[in-house]
Amino acid sequence: MAALLLPASIMLLAGCGSGAWFTRRSAGPAGGLAEVSRQEPALSGQGRLLASVVERSSGTTLLLQEQPSGRVVNLRHFQRHQPHSSPSLSWNGRYVAALVQQGSQRVPLIEDRLSGSLHRLTLPADHTPLRLSLSPEAGRLAVQVVQNGQSRVRLFDLAGLLEPDRPGGIAIQGGGPGVPP
Amino acid sequence: MRVPLHAMATVTLLALTQLLGSCMGPMPRPIGPLNSRLEALGANREPSLSGRWLALISGRGGREQVMLLDLVNQQAQFLSGLNRADAQPLSVSIDAAGEKIALVRQLEGRTELVLYRRSLQSLQPIAMVPDGVPKAVQLQADGRQLAVQVSRNGIWQVDLVQIP
Repeated sequence: MAALLLPASIMLLAGCGSGAWFTRRSAGPAGGLAEVSRQEPALSGQGRLLASVVERSSGTTLLLQEQPSGRVVNLRHFQRHQPHSSPSLSWNGRYVAALVQQGSQRVPLIEDRLSGSLHRLTLPADHTPLRLSLSPEAGRLAVQVVQNGQSRVRLFDLAGLLEPDRPGGIAIQGGGPGVPP
Repeated sequence: MRVPLHAMATVTLLALTQLLGSCMGPMPRPIGPLNSRLEALGANREPSLSGRWLALISGRGGREQVMLLDLVNQQAQFLSGLNRADAQPLSVSIDAAGEKIALVRQLEGRTELVLYRRSLQSLQPIAMVPDGVPKAVQLQADGRQLAVQVSRNGIWQVDLVQIP
């Protein structure tokens, strides 16, 4: 009896230890494309919005979706300048930050979905940005850059540029001014 | 006195740049003291900002480890039990409370996702179900859910994992 109980106990504990209590689900179809490759996920502060990048004929493109419905939210300023990478969202998803390609340069952009405005971060010519992280309240932006072959993280103050997007703020429906919801 | 053409062009360009700058309104400003602090850490990557916290992967002496910086007092926080000499961190993310850190790392030939709770100094593996190889993770700011990029059968997928 003990010989039977011991392996069962070990299996149960192993299951708990590897996260058996976690509830999981797939983020679902990427805008109607079931088997599309989806990368670099970023959730808004309370998980109502999911940003990721997906392969499209126009190149790697930022996709913003409501959760859990999967409804695609159109963005005003991220229709072009592919490939897009490293999306990041504020608490209520008012701000969407990502890297885009403009000419020969990778450029960090922040779209304000409430006002429809676009903010571009100008970096020194010898800084190539690789990753972004927007703080949830939109007060700071961290940019991973490569400079002289070395990877560095640089912090930027957005206070005075962006209004804070605090927890409990109003969620924005649709893609903001000029964009069909 | 004749002014050389290229000098005039330079002055005009600078004036236009200033004019454009003023039209574009306030610009993001580098945070000097914090950037100096980061510079002193050496090479670093995979930043994750949330609340007063910055988590990142920092290299020291050829070895990389997860580092947590309190942006208010600019102090690095001790992460007991998170970093291992034989593990290679790949992706890191922190919640706004600074309590939970999600980490993708390579350890003993496997790539795994783990959740670290600072108050408990506990490390909990999160299995990929169905089986898959995690690559990148992001915790939502309230710490209740994470999104993880997983490779399954050659396709990148995104799983959402609720955290109790």
